[in-house]
Amino acid sequence: MKTKRRFKKRDLLGWLVMLPTLILFTFYVWEPLLENVRLSMYTAKRYEIEAFNGINNYIGVIHNPDFKDAFVNTFAYTGWSLVIGFLVPILLGILLSEAVHFKNLFRVGIYFPNIVPGIATALIWTFFFTPGETGVLNILLSKIGIGSLTWLTNSKCTIPLIVATMTWKGAGSTALIYMAHISGISPDLYEAATIDGAGLMQRVRHITIPSLLPLAKTMLILQIIAVFQILYEPMMMTNGGPNGASISLMMLVYRYAYRDFNFPYAAALSVMICIILILLSGLYMKMTANKED
Amino acid sequence: MKNMKKLLSLLLCMAMCLSMMAGCGSKPAATAEPEAAATETEDAADTTEKTEAADTAASDEPVTVTLGIWPEDTLTDDIAMHEGFVEKMKTIDPNVTFEPAYYEYKSDTFMPMVEAGNCPTVFQTWFTEPQKLIKAGAVADITDELEARGWLDCINPSIREMMSDENGRVYGIPRDGYALGLMMNMELFREAGLVDADGYPIYPKTWEELAETAKTIKDKTGSAGICILAFDNGGGWHFSNIAWAFGATLCKDNGDGTFTCDLDSPEAIAAMEYVKSLKWDYDVLTADPTVENWGTGFTQLGTGGAAMYIAANDAVMQPTEANGLPVEDLAMCAIPAGPGGQFSLSGGTPYMFSKDATPEEINAALDYIEIMGYSPSVSETALDGLRADYANRKENGIPVIPRFRCWTNQEIIDAEEKIIEENANVDQKMYQPYFDATSSAGLRTEEPGSVQDMYAEFTKVLQAVLTDQNADVAALMKTADENYQAILDAM
Repeated sequence: MKTKRRFKKRDLLGWLVMLPTLILFTFYVWEPLLENVRLSMYTAKRYEIEAFNGINNYIGVIHNPDFKDAFVNTFAYTGWSLVIGFLVPILLGILLSEAVHFKNLFRVGIYFPNIVPGIATALIWTFFFTPGETGVLNILLSKIGIGSLTWLTNSKCTIPLIVATMTWKGAGSTALIYMAHISGISPDLYEAATIDGAGLMQRVRHITIPSLLPLAKTMLILQIIAVFQILYEPMMMTNGGPNGASISLMMLVYRYAYRDFNFPYAAALSVMICIILILLSGLYMKMTANKED
Repeated sequence: MKNMKKLLSLLLCMAMCLSMMAGCGSKPAATAEPEAAATETEDAADTTEKTEAADTAASDEPVTVTLGIWPEDTLTDDIAMHEGFVEKMKTIDPNVTFEPAYYEYKSDTFMPMVEAGNCPTVFQTWFTEPQKLIKAGAVADITDELEARGWLDCINPSIREMMSDENGRVYGIPRDGYALGLMMNMELFREAGLVDADGYPIYPKTWEELAETAKTIKDKTGSAGICILAFDNGGGWHFSNIAWAFGATLCKDNGDGTFTCDLDSPEAIAAMEYVKSLKWDYDVLTADPTVENWGTGFTQLGTGGAAMYIAANDAVMQPTEANGLPVEDLAMCAIPAGPGGQFSLSGGTPYMFSKDATPEEINAALDYIEIMGYSPSVSETALDGLRADYANRKENGIPVIPRFRCWTNQEIIDAEEKIIEENANVDQKMYQPYFDATSSAGLRTEEPGSVQDMYAEFTKVLQAVLTDQNADVAALMKTADENYQAILDAM
């Protein structure tokens, strides 16, 4: 009889503390999530489910002429974001913590683009990237004798340039996380290394980077998940163009839902995105788990 | 101390839960009410609908109409005008309460609003939307109400078709009709010397002439000759009109629910080659057509960034009031002709009604539209509304020009002409070539099929040819054709 757990007063308090969150999660996250999965397998009028449609919505989505472009592009965004955007915050974080003078100024400076609203960032950079003689970057280039470039309208550069603006905006906050982590590394290690005659590069290589590694792994997967859902940057800057060169999967979801009012298709595509992300995260966890063994 | 903390946290938790439940509870209660009211009155309305609708004077039960067509806060003159309308409605039918509920239609906010039961009784939407909204069951069928008022047969037939479902039931009335034309910035035309002895523009009559005119303007003023759109579907929308001029027919309704498209006909390819040449041979476009949309096009035109822009007469406030172009510096001519003839794409901007609106509410809203002067009615109150509207335009620096004929009864056409004369603030000859063309046989409504998808495909091709000098137009058009046919087949 003793094994039967008794509901203690302390448990009650615990449940009460959790209750608001549980209710919020149930109504605003889990229920809509399940509802979305259900919607993706039905036909619907507005949001109201009509008849079971099996996987036809999924087939319809895959046959959309823009799907292939969007699918490939979304991976390209993710890939480019790792090339351009993954190392920048780490570097910035290290530089910030190694800075001797004007440390606060640099911190504010690096974080500053984060304060600019996302849409405004996209617009600012669209003006910068305007091709022809009126684009800000082209005006600057002409001052040093370089002719106009085509920027975003060159379909090969569109995605890397959009990723560059995302990095410009987002790197600061991630850099601060790295910086905070670096400042948590025991100063004893650095002192000992300095006494042993290690220079800056050696300190970074043998102390800073190894201690940042676990954090960097987490940031990596977070970044992949975030960039995979890229939506407003290409929507504002290129509307997916030129000729589908920068359209993303989330943009397709948006078009299905809010341009065509085809909510079941939007639901189906978002379920597909979710599955891809679960697979990527699983793959990542498997890979890193093996390494740690 | 520890107990205090516990107590405090408990209290906080309770407070949070309670406030949340209060939040959850109030919403359904609010939406349930009008629904219940709707079913009650609907039953009653079934029998009395016809007679009540015809007798629009006074309703017995209190009715509340939310006006999504209310002007936005910054337009104080317009608000004053609408407050006058509401006052007038009070004397006509004291049982109806009109509530301002400014709503600017956006496709991403509309459906959630409908689903939450918060759709205004009457709202204005885009000309692209009626068929989508009708298919989604998001708007009310107003055929009976319109019939009882005798308005149904006054609607311009091509616009009526846009707002009807396949059974001919009508779901909206036109605020305005439109037919695409070519807007011109006279300041740039004068600077380029493209005016005749009387100061009227020497406007292009064919697409070839347009390219030359644009070149002259670019050479003499440095501004773009024409603003071509390639950011969103607006690009494809304009392009379909150019393609017609080159002789293309883009989509055929097979009559059995299927459609066959022909986006890669030699004519359509020639039209796309022409647009490409505007960029690479003549170099007369704005710096980056792939960022230009309907709105930025007007900014380019209004601020002197471009001298010509494909636009319709219902948008004359865009370059002028919204972008500061003086009224005397705007002129309009017809869309140029091509080897295939001269065509102007026409349609209408609709007022539509909440799917939850009762017949009484719809009738009250139609009464309101009537006193605004946006109906076929020529009663004195209706004409007063129209007068106020045109006077307001004149005051705010918007060219006062005739509307496109969305109502076809002769009385309203005559009455409106007279009011326009009274409020004239521009030389009508500046618009004569436009109105001559749009009253001719060249008017054409949008292509059948899933026209927004067709525009999307064209826009992609436009983006490709305007950003890549070596783009293979024929191949791109072929892909567009295949893509669009796949979409049509899946419909």
